[in-house]
Amino acid sequence: MAKYGFLIDASRCIDCRACLVACSVENNVSMKSTRIWIKDSAVTGEFPDLKRYSAPFHCMHCADPSCVSACTVGALKQNADGIITYDNKACIGCRYCMYACPFEVPHFQWDQQFALITKCDFCVSRLEAGQAEPACAATCPTDAIQFGSQKEMLALAHDRIEKQPERYINHVFGEFENGGTSTFYISPVPFDQLGFPTIETTESPAHFNRIATEEGTPIIAGAVALGMTGIYLAMEHFEKKPHTDRKPNGTEEK
Amino acid sequence: MATVNLTIKPFKALEGLPRYVYVLAVITALGLLAGAYRLYAGLGVTTNLSTVFPWGLWISFDLTNVAFSGAAFTLAMLVYIFHMHDLHSAVRPTVLFGFLGYSSVLVILFFDLGRWDRFWHFLVYPNLSSALFEVSWCIAIYSGILAYELSPVFLDRFKNEKLSRIVEKITIGMVIAGITLSSMHQSSLGSLFVVQIHRLHPLWYSMMQPEFFLVSSLSAGIAAILIGSYASIWMFKQTLSEKVLEKLGSLLPWFLIAYLLMKVVDLFWGNKIGLLLTSGVYSALYVAELALMLSAAIWFSIKRLRASRQNALYGALIIATGIVINRFTITWFALSALNGVRYFPSWVEILLLIGVSSGVIVVYALIAHFFPVFSETLAVKDLPKHELAKLKIDQPVSGD
Amino acid sequence: MTNTISRRDFLKLGAATGAVLAAGQMLSPLAAQAARESGQIDQQGDGYISSMCEMCVWRCGLIAKIKGGRVVKLDGNPQHPHSRGNLCPRGQSGLMNTYDPDRVLTPLIRVGKRGEGLFRKASWDEALDLVASKMLEIKQKYGPEAMVFSSTHNLSQPLFENLLYGFGSPNYGTQRSLCFNAMIVANLMTYGMEEPGRDYKNVKYIILTGRNLMEAISTSETHDLSHAIDAGVKVVYLDPRYTKTASKAGEWLPIRPGTDLAFHLALLNIIIGEKLYDQSFVSRYTVGFDELAKEVQRYTPDWAAQITGIPAETITRIAHEFAAAGKYALAHNGWRTSNFVNSFGTQRAITALNTIIGNWGVTLFPALEEGAGLGSPPQPPYPRISALRLDGVPWKFPFVPLKLGIFQELRNGIYNADPYQAHGWFISRQNPVLSIPDRNKTLETFGKMDFIVTVDIIMNDTAWFSDVILPEASYLERYDPLLPVGDKAFIRQPVIEPQGEAKSALWIYKQLGERLGLADYFQYADEEDYLRQQLAPLGVSLEEVREKGYAEMPGEGKLEYSWNTTSGKVELFSETLANAGFDGMAKWEEPPMPAADQFYLLTGKVAQHTQFGTHNNQLLHKYSDEPRLSMNAKVAAQKGLKSGDWVAVTSEVGKIHILLEATEAIRPDCVFMAPGFGHISKGLTTAFGFGASDSVLHVTYTDPVSGGQALSQTFVSVEKIAGAPNEPVRKPLHLGE
Ligand SMILES: Nc1nc2c(c(=O)[nH]1)N[C@H]1C(S)=C(S)[C@@H](COP(=O)(O)OP(=O)(O)OC[C@H]3O[C@@H](n4cnc5c(=O)[nH]c(N)nc54)[C@H](O)[C@@H]3O)O[C@H]1N2
Ligand SMILES: Nc1nc2c(c(=O)[nH]1)N[C@H]1C(S)=C(S)[C@@H](COP(=O)(O)OP(=O)(O)OC[C@H]3O[C@@H](n4cnc5c(=O)[nH]c(N)nc54)[C@H](O)[C@@H]3O)O[C@H]1N2
Ligand code: SF4
Ligand code: SF4
Ligand code: SF4
Ligand code: SF4
Ligand code: SF4
Ligand SMILES: [Mo]
Repeated sequence: MAKYGFLIDASRCIDCRACLVACSVENNVSMKSTRIWIKDSAVTGEFPDLKRYSAPFHCMHCADPSCVSACTVGALKQNADGIITYDNKACIGCRYCMYACPFEVPHFQWDQQFALITKCDFCVSRLEAGQAEPACAATCPTDAIQFGSQKEMLALAHDRIEKQPERYINHVFGEFENGGTSTFYISPVPFDQLGFPTIETTESPAHFNRIATEEGTPIIAGAVALGMTGIYLAMEHFEKKPHTDRKPNGTEEK
Repeated sequence: MATVNLTIKPFKALEGLPRYVYVLAVITALGLLAGAYRLYAGLGVTTNLSTVFPWGLWISFDLTNVAFSGAAFTLAMLVYIFHMHDLHSAVRPTVLFGFLGYSSVLVILFFDLGRWDRFWHFLVYPNLSSALFEVSWCIAIYSGILAYELSPVFLDRFKNEKLSRIVEKITIGMVIAGITLSSMHQSSLGSLFVVQIHRLHPLWYSMMQPEFFLVSSLSAGIAAILIGSYASIWMFKQTLSEKVLEKLGSLLPWFLIAYLLMKVVDLFWGNKIGLLLTSGVYSALYVAELALMLSAAIWFSIKRLRASRQNALYGALIIATGIVINRFTITWFALSALNGVRYFPSWVEILLLIGVSSGVIVVYALIAHFFPVFSETLAVKDLPKHELAKLKIDQPVSGD
Repeated sequence: MTNTISRRDFLKLGAATGAVLAAGQMLSPLAAQAARESGQIDQQGDGYISSMCEMCVWRCGLIAKIKGGRVVKLDGNPQHPHSRGNLCPRGQSGLMNTYDPDRVLTPLIRVGKRGEGLFRKASWDEALDLVASKMLEIKQKYGPEAMVFSSTHNLSQPLFENLLYGFGSPNYGTQRSLCFNAMIVANLMTYGMEEPGRDYKNVKYIILTGRNLMEAISTSETHDLSHAIDAGVKVVYLDPRYTKTASKAGEWLPIRPGTDLAFHLALLNIIIGEKLYDQSFVSRYTVGFDELAKEVQRYTPDWAAQITGIPAETITRIAHEFAAAGKYALAHNGWRTSNFVNSFGTQRAITALNTIIGNWGVTLFPALEEGAGLGSPPQPPYPRISALRLDGVPWKFPFVPLKLGIFQELRNGIYNADPYQAHGWFISRQNPVLSIPDRNKTLETFGKMDFIVTVDIIMNDTAWFSDVILPEASYLERYDPLLPVGDKAFIRQPVIEPQGEAKSALWIYKQLGERLGLADYFQYADEEDYLRQQLAPLGVSLEEVREKGYAEMPGEGKLEYSWNTTSGKVELFSETLANAGFDGMAKWEEPPMPAADQFYLLTGKVAQHTQFGTHNNQLLHKYSDEPRLSMNAKVAAQKGLKSGDWVAVTSEVGKIHILLEATEAIRPDCVFMAPGFGHISKGLTTAFGFGASDSVLHVTYTDPVSGGQALSQTFVSVEKIAGAPNEPVRKPLHLGE
């Protein structure tokens, strides 16, 4: 199944926040949390030589998502189309995903009595209802957010950089970050200036997590179980002493 | 004019229960009230947790607490696997301590969940790659096993010989299972941070975190026993013989050295030497922990020191400090606080924590009051004269 | 006082619903019955209905998603030329206006003192009877002119005008003089049309004079400009502030406020002096070129540099670049051109620039007049009105069209009882308490009224001080007359039934008209009948239009080379103006300047709010920035001020307290405040007391030719104050990001 993808162009975004409002309404997000927010460079430089860039930020929909590998109850899942979905029926609100996600995407409904996570899910219900685009992409007045197949979006990103090298830095954020994602960004300035996290590893933390949990733990468990049994039997064999005549004061007859 | 009699008249059954237990009971009640408020009002209002600081005091406490509660499996291993029967007298008080320690962890966790009403979900929605899932499972089952290991205490009281024998029989299987589960969740607690490679300070991040947690919990456990045996002199008029303490202490250097070696290996293989020199407060904390553990190792390798009740206590306290530094740095200072985010627990967070901890002592005292927890330990009054003198206890004292 | 809504009830209501309400969890009125019949939504009340946004006057086409009879989402209608499938943040948040817990849903009659906020609920009959009787009483006591009518541009305005002209009052206030009089009158004097259409298809070079399109959004035009920039079109943007438009423009010129005229005159000087203009167009289609050429000889780049603060070389270069782009160049005439008393001159210069570069038919097009080809109910001519207008149009201001008027002068006329005393004020879809400069004066003027009635959807500040409030159904709950755009006429139709007792303006005006004996001006049975009469000439059924969202109209008039001016040509020099003793063409006029220790107070839109009407919208509140006074960082430092400090801002007419924002993004001699904050109506739970209002500070200055208000001509001093002021202050929601 073809993967969905986003291309977000910081050179186009005017920080109008239509995408933020659209998301809140489409997904009925509680008034004190959000699934999408603006990252910006603020105004940099000295009057009158100034710059200012912004871009909306939401779930990257990683190829190998840390949140999915970490979620205590498997409430976060990866679809064949690359969408990372969230099952609010299963979630227990432990907030481990907030730590697992290198992009600090999952938000918690701090204002709710029974609080859950809220996270971009590509407007999956909207897509299933047959609407062409997620709410944020659909409404953007400058087409700073574009939606399509992951392949197309990546190609488009490189195409734009090639055609206007003076306009963009040569870096497609999301292509390799965290082991690759379905959300791609292009920008006139380095992404750390936009307040994006700098992700060195091209390997997703999920990978290391699996080593620890799916390989490490069983090995430790096996080793300990066997080791203990072995040692116990050995001890039994060598030491004949019955250990029944104990004095209540805990000292032993030798 | 009518006079009001203010002297508390406890039920017959509770006579002889130390006074402080009543005080702690009140504190516990207050703590649970704070907890109820949190459940009612939600985490946002009642805690100082936030999007940039989602885990706080409670999680840090839980992880530290589990390390100390490692006492139970460590001792079980020494006694039943390595046949150090002379340590047997410590088993019951320690197992009870472990059991209540884990229970308090579960209670705190319950209050920490956004959907506490779904605390049981981990039983029906497994995610095998989740460290937190493993932890939940192991702790749940292990608590059962501790309850089992504890059962003789109760069976004794009811003088149920037959049952006792059966229990005795399968004990060893249970013990091995318990040790296995413990090593699983102790290490899984370390695994929690393996995925947080972008969050945890690089100096403190390590793929060996699981092993660190596991091995350090051995020392933490023994330290807990040493401290506990000292505290119970005042709390329960019971303690362990210096002989037992000495034996336990003699094992610490090995555990500590093992831990230190692993840390050093990690420093070199993860080539963190540079980081160690440049990470300011995080380096300081790192060095502090290692220094404490090292000095403790040396301390306990000196027989004269570990053979003395007081000195054993001091050594144990050094280790405890190291453990606290380690767990709090990894769950707090070098994690969420990393980007200069300020967090100080709210009064609800603090009160609930104090309440639950007090609750642990209350329940411990009650069980010890009704059941033979201290059947094999030393009554303070039986301590040798020179010790009593050192402890400034004018004997003989009858349990009031 | 069970049926008395007091301020506390409003606050309670808000506290109850406000905090927890999320966009979708809202009261659930019935699905629009009409929509159900026409099969647009099914029996469960699910479906999609196309209509039109009214969160601002751009009126984008929308498609409402209905679930269980509730609007749950609004999307842009791809077929509508104003939205093209997009909606701006305000459009996206529209359903929150409709579901605002503070909505006024029954007619209210004041019981307490004015401004006390005590009202009682009333039936429509009672309320309408009361309004009608009061109006008739005023009419026969003082004459119809004693009744003032004002309303901001909206689709039912023709019926509003029937009400006032039928009633016989000349006193008509609209937002226009606060907004675009300078631009409209300049266009009328030059082209004989209000506003030529702009086309970005072929544009190669754009000069934007303070048109902040990336914040003061018009979805389609913002989209066009953005894509033009993507395609490499150069945009030169003049604004004393580094706005979001400035950040996208190829070149930002932080021009000194009020000196755009000098800048454009210098461009004319070079382009004409160096013969870089389109001589054939000029000779064939214009009059007055020679006078213009002679006049602009004085305006050299060096001269302009002194005044504007923009280097002469820059001005020269831009003139050359602009001329090089020839007919593909566009000097944008802006929109809210109510900045200085010389703004009319600026607009004249801009029209001249466009004319001589010959971009007519390439980037500028003749606009076709609204409503052409649509029918309307029959109605008798209006009674003759002899009384003078309180706003001085035309007797003081001969060139201001009656339908534009001069709102701020109207307010002054009432205040000074000049030339006579007005006694009643009928206000619809307008918030003059905040939109007219000098709020205190406006409130005093309210005090002189025997009777004030306001038609609104919420308890805005104007309603708060009114005697009767008539609740209109929101734009998602009602029909309005059709809106022709290009070759289509678009429909606004109810996507849900009105909540409470709310009714459409079409209904309210008709009901009132009948009670005032003006039934002949409202010859339609109901809203649908009105639309049917509009559609009659097109021969399409209302049902079809409701389904499709629009009706096709006879094809767009093609390119026209005749202009509705006295000369029939483009008038670079206007005899009419000259004869009336005004400048026949753009001439330099020195605007006033702030004293050494004072600042220009600038105003301007933010992308998340519209004027003075959306600040109670919880979604927009959630996602907009905390309102602050922007001041140049270096100046702030010199004054010992830093971001987050509380400051007192004082002008000739008022004083406010506000948080300071020290930023590089503004000229050192300016400070900026976003309009629309600092609401004083306690009926607005979210907006009340949040931020401060710049209208408190604005001094009233009117341009004698166009009647435009000069909103940037207010000068203020800024002083630090200790701690937060005692007036209520509220923080915006924090999302931890
Ligand atoms: N989001 C949003 N969009 C809107 C509206 C809204 O309320 N909100 N309102 C709509 C309406 S009614 C209108 S009229 C338009 C208005 O849209 P615009 O015409 O763009 O008007 P403003 O945003 O009010 O002001 C634009 C800029 O003028 C600058 N300015 C002030 N004085 C001067 C000066 O002397 N010279 C120059 N060059 N610049 C100056 C201000 O700094 C401000 O940035 O927006 C429409 N679109
Ligand atoms: N300081 C300052 N003053 C300004 C400006 C500025 O930028 N700064 N801008 C100027 C400009 S450009 C303009 S256009 C004017 C606008 O000035 P106004 O038109 O007076 O202000 P609005 O906020 O547009 O008024 C809209 C009112 O209609 C109400 N409303 C909303 N929807 C409906 C509806 O469906 N039916 C009815 N009956 N009422 C409804 C709203 O609650 C609000 O009270 O302000 C001008 N004044
Ligand atoms: S809608 Fe588009 S332009 Fe507006 S903030 Fe979102 S991405 Fe940026
Ligand atoms: S961005 Fe974060 S939340 Fe989204 S998929 Fe990747 S890890 Fe999960
Ligand atoms: S908060 Fe919910 S989604 Fe996140 S890890 Fe915990 S259970 Fe999974
Ligand atoms: S895709 Fe949907 S859920 Fe994700 S940010 Fe956009 S609107 Fe929100
Ligand atoms: S520009 Fe925005 S507010 Fe105005 S009509 Fe269009 S969507 Fe609505
Ligand atoms: Mo306007």
